[in-house]
Amino acid sequence: MWVQVGVPVRGDAMTQFIFTFLNGITLAGLYFLVASGLTLIFGLMRVINLAHGAFYLLAGYISWTVADKTDNWFFGAVAGALSLGVIGTLIYVLLLRKFQYEELRVALITLGVSLVLAQAMLAIFGGEYYQTNIPDSLQFTIPVPGLGLSYPFFRIFVLLLAVIVAIGLWIFISKTRYGAIIRAGVDDTTMVSALGINVQAVFIWIFFLGSVLVGFAGAVGGTTNSFGMGTDGDYLLFSLQVVIIGGLGSIGGVAIGSILVGVIGQYAVGYFPTFAGIITFTMLILILAFRPQGILGKKQ
Amino acid sequence: MTRTRAMYAIVLVLALVFPYITPDPDFWVSSGGTRALWLGVAALSMSFMNRNLGLMSLGQLFFSGVAGYIVAISSVYHGVKFGTSVPLAILAGTLSGVIIGWIALKTKGVYFFMLTLAVTLGLYSFANQAQEITHGHTGINSIPSPIIFGTDFAFVKPLYYLFLGIAVVLFAACKFIEKTSFGIALKGVRDNEDRMISMGYRVLPLKMIAFVFSAFIASIAGVMGVFYVTNISPDSVGLLRSIDLLVIVVVGGATYLGGAFVGAVLIAIFEAKIQDFTVYYVGATGILFIVVLMLAPQGLMGITAQIRAKRAKNAGAQA
Repeated sequence: MWVQVGVPVRGDAMTQFIFTFLNGITLAGLYFLVASGLTLIFGLMRVINLAHGAFYLLAGYISWTVADKTDNWFFGAVAGALSLGVIGTLIYVLLLRKFQYEELRVALITLGVSLVLAQAMLAIFGGEYYQTNIPDSLQFTIPVPGLGLSYPFFRIFVLLLAVIVAIGLWIFISKTRYGAIIRAGVDDTTMVSALGINVQAVFIWIFFLGSVLVGFAGAVGGTTNSFGMGTDGDYLLFSLQVVIIGGLGSIGGVAIGSILVGVIGQYAVGYFPTFAGIITFTMLILILAFRPQGILGKKQ
Repeated sequence: MTRTRAMYAIVLVLALVFPYITPDPDFWVSSGGTRALWLGVAALSMSFMNRNLGLMSLGQLFFSGVAGYIVAISSVYHGVKFGTSVPLAILAGTLSGVIIGWIALKTKGVYFFMLTLAVTLGLYSFANQAQEITHGHTGINSIPSPIIFGTDFAFVKPLYYLFLGIAVVLFAACKFIEKTSFGIALKGVRDNEDRMISMGYRVLPLKMIAFVFSAFIASIAGVMGVFYVTNISPDSVGLLRSIDLLVIVVVGGATYLGGAFVGAVLIAIFEAKIQDFTVYYVGATGILFIVVLMLAPQGLMGITAQIRAKRAKNAGAQA
């Protein structure tokens, strides 16, 4: 469902305001984890993966199953991330690679993939909603300064994870030799190949990394929020909103987009529930009216 | 040219006699013919835009949804007559095209595709959320059928012929527009926008008119959908329905106007029949879609051209 269930908000106006902010900013952390894979793959390969929402949901199911069987949340998260990495790479190699430079055709094929995945998940897991249990070691609350109230640590943990991933990606892409190869490969594939670098292998690794990111996001998001049939469409929408607002292909853009969609979305849900969707949507339209390429996007 | 005309005539005659020659007419006229005409008109709005602007839009269901919800809400909850609500709904759907077009036409290619997808998904989440207006997930049910000059369109055949009439008129309108100087200028913009600008054309108004006309067709399709399905819910504008339309356009042939109807007929038959074999027909549609995209990206209408091109290439390689 659209309405993201954060921590129930009770009490006076000030408490409500602060808790809504906390819900929004931690949700932004989740959005960042979800959308960073999408923008990474697009930014470096010009491939837009519209099965991204289906990937998120599939990772949720896989990590729920593994966590349930092994009784260990971390195993579940790793299983979700790695299996999606493998599945994503397979889809890229078998279905997309041949048409990599036909952007729209690739986008359409991934939409077809999302249909097939959605149906397969419905057949296996049915129409019920699932939610993975928070690991005991992270199941505690921390006090909010000045309010005398406390907030669940796990949601803060998600935000911390997002910050760590953001910094890691930034260092990887702009400071390491691998990042330099990747950036060069995007600008001039032929030249980089001539230098003796296997560009095809680089692309496979990027697709793997992007899919691992969304797989990990599915494991984390499947713990903070329930998931089931239809969740794929919801998270595809969130990811699209985030990358369209922030600018497709920019990691910093994803961070800004996540914060805007997460925080403003939560205030909208909290204060004007009927029109929450319209408010986020109007924000998207207004930003695009002035910056069609998104806040940090490059001119097309 | 005469060959094309003869083809049109044959297809039209077949469509006219279809309810009388098909076996099991109760099933095939409604689940086959009428459904295909409705989806075909919706897909036509997409094909028209793809052909003339070179843009693939998933936003068509937004316009359909706006028009459909207005008809449903006003007729079921406010007792507004269809004579008033239908034109108003189509007008509102078309005007929403002005706003969306203003934003979306600033983008191109896959950005445009994503943006229009987000627009439709936005309406989906609004419809789910705004319980007081749209009745959320349950949607609005048992929408009455229109009665025009004593003909009750709740019956299968009248509705089929009404839809056939609408489809023929809109198809002819699209063909006509493409032949006018406006249509030719539009093709110029699609093929080389910079050259058209340097020739002194104002490009944005041209694109805008085409976009809004496409929204107009989509709005009509939205009203058709309300009368065919007799209900409207968020799923009517959801991701699955959007992909359904896309499948129709791509399978039929996205660069041909007729492809919309070829694809719609094929998908209507496919979806009606595949349910006898498997409950997973959505997944089956997805596989069909991927296969067509990988092997015949020009769709069924383009398959002869594709084979011809391949033969020419092979012949050239041998020579």
